[in-house]
Amino acid sequence: MAKKFEMTKVEKNDVPTKIKKGVLGVFLNAVLLIFSATCIFPLVWMFYSSLKEKRVFNADIIGLPKNPTIINYKNILTNSDYHLGASMKNSLVVTACSVFLIVLFGFIVGYILARVRFKLNRVLYVMFLMGMLIPIHSLLVPIYLVFKNTGLSDKWFTLIIPYVAFGLPTAIFLVEGFVKGVPTALEEAAAIDGSSFSRTLFQIIMPICRPIMTTVAIINVFTCWNEFSFALVLLKNQKLHTVPLAMTQFTGQFGSDYPKIMAAMLLTMSPIVVLYFTCSKQIIKGMVAGAVKG
Amino acid sequence: MLQAIKPKKRVVFAYLAIPTILFIFAVFVPLITALVNSFYEWKSGPNKTFNGLTNYITLMHDSTFWLSFRHNLFLVAVCIIGQIGIAFILVLMINSRLVKLKGIHRTFGFFPSTIAAVSIGFIWKMVYDYNRGILNWFLGVIGREDLQQVWLSNEKLVMLLVAIPLVWQWIGYYMVIILSAISSIDTEIFEVAELDGANAVQRAIYIVLPLIKNTLLVCVTLCIAGNMKAFDNIYVMTSGGPGKASMVMAMYGYNVSFAENNLGYGSTISVGIFVMSLLVIGGSQWIIGLLTKDKEA
Repeated sequence: MAKKFEMTKVEKNDVPTKIKKGVLGVFLNAVLLIFSATCIFPLVWMFYSSLKEKRVFNADIIGLPKNPTIINYKNILTNSDYHLGASMKNSLVVTACSVFLIVLFGFIVGYILARVRFKLNRVLYVMFLMGMLIPIHSLLVPIYLVFKNTGLSDKWFTLIIPYVAFGLPTAIFLVEGFVKGVPTALEEAAAIDGSSFSRTLFQIIMPICRPIMTTVAIINVFTCWNEFSFALVLLKNQKLHTVPLAMTQFTGQFGSDYPKIMAAMLLTMSPIVVLYFTCSKQIIKGMVAGAVKG
Repeated sequence: MLQAIKPKKRVVFAYLAIPTILFIFAVFVPLITALVNSFYEWKSGPNKTFNGLTNYITLMHDSTFWLSFRHNLFLVAVCIIGQIGIAFILVLMINSRLVKLKGIHRTFGFFPSTIAAVSIGFIWKMVYDYNRGILNWFLGVIGREDLQQVWLSNEKLVMLLVAIPLVWQWIGYYMVIILSAISSIDTEIFEVAELDGANAVQRAIYIVLPLIKNTLLVCVTLCIAGNMKAFDNIYVMTSGGPGKASMVMAMYGYNVSFAENNLGYGSTISVGIFVMSLLVIGGSQWIIGLLTKDKEA
């Protein structure tokens, strides 16, 4: 082994190899830089284009604005007919409530399924497991019917119900898997000391589960904020529209005014963009963990 | 299980009640509703008439439904090759010692996957636009005005054109997943292989690929499930058009139920989507199971 190692060392110092490596390095870096650039380009393009007037944009779609203007933003923010501000508030409420409930219920159910022995344990386990396997998108039409018949559509909390239900299975299995890896000694000690089940659950187990709960929260913030199809069928009242719905309405109205649409898109995307770029490491880690384990 | 943790049944059921009821209400009740309504002729009015298997027979012969299904399969194929294939190549590149700014590539590459499919659809609709689209602008710049066209009205290309945004959006996502799988491999393996004279391509095929096989299969599964439900960006970009050239199952179900107000047949289509998605996802799982067993034996 040592001999071989020396050989390669010699090889690496050859001049042709060095050149080859240099060329390869430039090539690899260039490809990856182009890739990263295309991923971020739409954001940049939309940003500087949103500072143009429609007329200027139509004349030159790619150039930087010569006389940047914030008229598009002013226009959007002052006209309450666009519902964009309201839609952001709606999305915020729906996302916050859904994520909170998914994390809470996921934690409770996941813990109970992992630790408490009772007759229905396996039944519930399989039921929630099925939730991960069933193609939920096929429920689009029937869920509309159920919500209409029960009078649950077009309420501020309407979307929270399906979002929580769809987010639960993954949350439960992430928590269940996590809890199984935690030694039971703590809970035993707590029980001997006379701590009630609820107290143990919330004061002893919950802090331990924080990492997995964070993962669950991260995954669901993005899915809830971005969800479109169920919002589309369950909400008819414009005042309740979430961001993706409001955006489709807005673009329908101003189909040809690209700078205005871009400004609106950037505004409505901004919470998610800011969130992503301020804690991208954590978010990426959480999403990957969720995808691979879930 | 342990003795110490034996909460009262009442307490356990109290904790489980709300999530369980909510879940059953939002998942199983609609499933049954779809099944029941699929046997009725029902055009959204108060009148429902039982018509037995008629809807299902119609579905069997509904060329639009099967065309949509094939489009979903097309998306799955393009995305498995495009997303996971390109992601894998990018991972091999990014893992090279010669590459700098790895963190930036991860952060920027992952970014599109956090954006709503609706927004991605709008962005690409602008890219494809005839008068103000980047694609036609670019063709103009390189002097190929002859290729300029109203892209999303091209029946032959439209499926590919709606697949490209999907591929673009998720490459970085799969790249990061594969990267994290590779980073858990002992780097000594690579060094030894390099010393033994394996070149980069050989290392990729014979060492990296087998070691991250399971992760790749997870990616394939995610990809299949994700594309069977394609709806958002198609709704935004083409609404299934021109004609039915980019119709996918979810879009068709939506159109029949809400544009044509045919809720009975719409329910039948929902059951059809359910069954076909389950078959494709289950079938792919079965094949994956066979593949992994084969190699282990």
